[in-house]
Amino acid sequence: MKRFIIKRMAQVVVVLFLILTVLFVLFRLAPGDPVERMVDPNLTLEEAEHLVEQLGLKEPILTQYGIYLKNFAMGHFGHSFHYGQPVAEVIWEKLPNTILLFTTAVILAALVGVSWGKIAAWSKGKWKDLAFTVAALVTHTLFLPWLALLLVWFFGYRLEWFPITGMMSEEVWLDPDTAWWQKAWDVGYHMMLPLLTLFLIHFGSYLLVMRSSMLDTLKEDYIVTARAKGLSEKAIRNRHAAPNAMLPVVTSVGLSLAFSINGGALTETVFSWPGIGRELVFAVSHNDYPLAQACFLLIATVVLFSNVVVDVLYAYLDPRIRY
Amino acid sequence: MNQQAAMDLRQARRSLWRERLAEDWRVFRRNPLGRIGLTLLIMFGLMAVCSYIPPMINPMYNPMTGVDPHIMASTGPSARHWLGTDFMGRDIFAQLLAGARVAFMVGVSAAFMAVVLGTALGMTAGYMGGLTDTLLMRAADMIMVMPTLLVVLMLAALFGQLNIWTIVLMIALFRWPGVSRVVRAQTLSLKQRPFIDAARVAGASHPRIIFRHIMPNVLPLAFLYMTFRVTSAIVIEAALAFLGFGDPGTVSWGMMLQWVWKTGHMFQAMYWLLPPGLCISLITLSFYMLGRAMDEVLDPRLRDETSAG
Amino acid sequence: MVTIKKFRRLLLNLPAAALLAAIAVLAVWAAPAQSAGNGILKIGVLEEPKSLNLWLASDAWSNRILSLMYQPLYLREPNSMELVPWLAAEQPDFDHKTLTCTVKLRPAKWSDGSDFTAEDVVFTGHMIYLYQMPRHYSKWKFIEKVEAVDKHTVRFVLNKPMAIFLSRTLTTPIVQKKQWASLVKQLEGSERALQEILQHDFEEPSVTGPFVVDKWKKGVFVYMKKNPHFFGQGQTIGGHKLGPHIKGIIFKIYGTADAAILALRKGDIDFYWNDIQAGYLKSIENDPDIKLFTNTKSGVYYLGFNLRRAPMDDVAFRRAVATLIAKEFIIKRILQGYGEVLHSMIPPGNEVFYNPNVPKHGAGLDRAQRVKAAYEILSRAGYTWETPPVDAQGKVQKARGIKTPDGKPLREVVILTPPADYDPHRAMSGQMIQEWLREVGIPVVSRPMAFGALIQTVKTQHDFDCFVLGYGKLALDPGYLRAFFHSSQDKPKGWNMSGYNNPEFDQLATESDETMDTAKRRDLIFKMQEILMSEVPYIPLYNPVLVEGVRADRFTGWVPALGGIGNIWSLCEIQAK
Repeated sequence: MKRFIIKRMAQVVVVLFLILTVLFVLFRLAPGDPVERMVDPNLTLEEAEHLVEQLGLKEPILTQYGIYLKNFAMGHFGHSFHYGQPVAEVIWEKLPNTILLFTTAVILAALVGVSWGKIAAWSKGKWKDLAFTVAALVTHTLFLPWLALLLVWFFGYRLEWFPITGMMSEEVWLDPDTAWWQKAWDVGYHMMLPLLTLFLIHFGSYLLVMRSSMLDTLKEDYIVTARAKGLSEKAIRNRHAAPNAMLPVVTSVGLSLAFSINGGALTETVFSWPGIGRELVFAVSHNDYPLAQACFLLIATVVLFSNVVVDVLYAYLDPRIRY
Repeated sequence: MNQQAAMDLRQARRSLWRERLAEDWRVFRRNPLGRIGLTLLIMFGLMAVCSYIPPMINPMYNPMTGVDPHIMASTGPSARHWLGTDFMGRDIFAQLLAGARVAFMVGVSAAFMAVVLGTALGMTAGYMGGLTDTLLMRAADMIMVMPTLLVVLMLAALFGQLNIWTIVLMIALFRWPGVSRVVRAQTLSLKQRPFIDAARVAGASHPRIIFRHIMPNVLPLAFLYMTFRVTSAIVIEAALAFLGFGDPGTVSWGMMLQWVWKTGHMFQAMYWLLPPGLCISLITLSFYMLGRAMDEVLDPRLRDETSAG
Repeated sequence: MVTIKKFRRLLLNLPAAALLAAIAVLAVWAAPAQSAGNGILKIGVLEEPKSLNLWLASDAWSNRILSLMYQPLYLREPNSMELVPWLAAEQPDFDHKTLTCTVKLRPAKWSDGSDFTAEDVVFTGHMIYLYQMPRHYSKWKFIEKVEAVDKHTVRFVLNKPMAIFLSRTLTTPIVQKKQWASLVKQLEGSERALQEILQHDFEEPSVTGPFVVDKWKKGVFVYMKKNPHFFGQGQTIGGHKLGPHIKGIIFKIYGTADAAILALRKGDIDFYWNDIQAGYLKSIENDPDIKLFTNTKSGVYYLGFNLRRAPMDDVAFRRAVATLIAKEFIIKRILQGYGEVLHSMIPPGNEVFYNPNVPKHGAGLDRAQRVKAAYEILSRAGYTWETPPVDAQGKVQKARGIKTPDGKPLREVVILTPPADYDPHRAMSGQMIQEWLREVGIPVVSRPMAFGALIQTVKTQHDFDCFVLGYGKLALDPGYLRAFFHSSQDKPKGWNMSGYNNPEFDQLATESDETMDTAKRRDLIFKMQEILMSEVPYIPLYNPVLVEGVRADRFTGWVPALGGIGNIWSLCEIQAK
């Protein structure tokens, strides 16, 4: 087991190195430099050239690569072109917001998806199953930005229940008398629509995977044995079938993480939620290469390590697999 | 092998294929999911074909460049413009039809490229084994978990602007691993079969074995995967366009949504916000249902892969 | 099963749906209380500032906040657009013989309570010169010497007369020596000093302006409070009695114009500091709670040619194109009336330097007349047609088979425009022009291109035929004419994107740059405009009118100016109702 984990970790490190290199090459291959796209008649040619030189964009390519690798290894991600701040600081400010929104949504979606999937499989062929399956299929295939816009239109504009963008009301945060729970409440209130969007998009896939895996499990011998022993249906469902049916769900979490992250970036952008995904989109549209690079690397790292975690978890859960 | 025998063999193979297709069709037709999916797809197909008609009636119905000379702002549905006009007086219905064409183009070509690439690499990995296999599959593992949208987004930023075919190619380059994994597994099991050994003993070259003997057996599987790839390609292109990194010379549904959103009409123009999103969602749903149905037809034991990332 | 127990630990079997419903209900219930009129102005913006570092944050969004913080010696008064002493105490005393300028400073304080002195001005000048500060260096590099005569007097010595000295050099925002000196000392001998300067971040920058940043929640809002040390408080400058009369300003950051305008309509913000696009106007024009202000911009939106290529290198071709473009129509239809026709590269709002008597190609003609006029220009230059756009009876018809004077078919000309979502007006103008040029048989396509790629193609690679671009905020000093059309600027990344090369113009431009007498300079600039409009490397199209909206029920006293009511004067003068 230990060896397996170490091996997988080593792989991840190699891949990260490769990604770093590819990013580096791509960024240098890209035509033009960020200064060039500053369209400001006040910036003369002479000043622009000097600026490019100062930003270190004129060094020989291998020197740049060396500096780049060294900096990354030491945790220096450079300064954002746009904010002028160290990239790590920019990311650090936005990361908690993403974690808050994303994990809440995924956990809620997984809980609801799994428990409803269980129910759907158990009542296969009945209206409950049909309703759940159709709901899952439809919400799962909805185009996320569109769903987000519809929710904004309905809950934010029509009913005026929730704020349509942002993550806090400045009154609450500027008032020195505000208690921490009021702030938490305020953020939660702003989070409702993005949370709902991500939840709706995600619970369907959990439901579908859980349902089909549960149906497979029900055909297994030990369920038949449990039935023969005269255990109650509920006990069979919750204690015997469900835990084993969870295995494919665990794998699908790993595999669909990329999908979720795409969705997260879209959701953050639509709702102006100040998170990593929106920052990446922003950096990309403002040609802020160091920031875009670091955001992407962070996301890639998270994705790769979560897949290791999923593999390990899988091995841990499935008694048939031993490394 | 003499000429005659080869001809016979080819003919026999062809009729076998035909029989199998007929049988598959029978199974497929019994599946309600598949029927709904197929009907929807045919509808979208018709939309795509019809997209050539409006610009022929009147140049103002050209989805990208045609503006109604009397309308300069977004207006609601009317007899002249069935779904209304966008912010510069272009016909939304014409755009919607053109969007179907782009969706099919993007979806099918990206999926096709991904499947070709995935099949080729999967077969190579499975057949060659050893280091090639390890390297290819590790690469596949890593690429598979990357968020394609964000990767293409980065590339779009770097190169300033991507045209629609570059986007298609990018999507294909990042969506092959799923296919290749399955194809590899199938190839591995085929490799053990006696007829491959027989071919090898008869002196067939590696490429010949791969293309003549293994490929026909993995193709159905690859095509099943293609239907899933189509969806993810369409969704990625739409999302990219929605974020403002699409090809500005193409009218896709994602682009239409971006126009609604960016020009500030989402609160005032439901007639404009609803259709493109509905189309993207429905086409995704229909390919998804079709895939599920085909899944049951081709191999009941096959696990579907739902990830669209 | 072995796994069961492990699972019981992992699997939280919560009634999740109930939880979700509970959160939803509670959240609705807890709608936030509206803050009462507490003297805080709320402004909606679309982007937060880059940083509070003056040297880095030069973009329009940063400027909204930084222009309230860092102050220059002279500032334009909004009604007359004349420079009035701001941090300076009186008009500059310029000695033309010795090229020396003496400026007396106002007694003022930095926001940290220390005195503003001549040393700060000298230091700012040195910093700009030393690091070749982007966007400022060109305005300072002709300064031979800047020195503090006494605590409140600065003397500048120029090495040659420069027209931009008064209008641009003396309007540079001043930074505090105390705050920057240690960093500058530290950077002595550093190779990447400019980079270090740009990346420097102060918690609390010392400024002299009416507001200072008090709290900045990244990506959400910026809160600026009144600067108690503001020198203008209670003073009358340029005829304006200054406050500020408000306690502070909250800049709320909205991702899209949609959300910001909705917030304005709902009363969540008092002012949306951005141009309101024509698409929104319908919905808010009749809203009694919203007051709209329209002001002219100092902008030029134009069609540019690549003079390095045929057929754009032919002045007859360019004049024909200019004749075919109906600018009034673009304003009426595309800008829905919110704009003015431009005939010169200097907008009419610039009353001193605008030349109203430049050649106006095709002005006042109707469609058929334009086609005929363009046909005449082209055929006189030797262009021929298989079917000319005007038949023997003088009737306009569909033209076919246009050939250049050397008998070859005219190749397809591509007009590049920004994509429709970036700027619908420019994209549509491109479309429109395409249709008009086709009337005389010129094969044209208008092609939208992502903005970054467009700039690169046009400015660096010079690989284009025509393009539609524009500037929304040009300086009032006409020095940009030189940058745009002087032959020395015709190189990759230079501002002369057209590749215009005219020795006569070059000479006039250089002369005008070094003419400090306004009347004389005006004559030169007039001549330059005449040359440009006769040779048309750029065809100026329109200057949009800026529409801004405020809540009618909250604050009064907005000061309209060129470039809108969003300016430091407004924010110093508005009062709560």
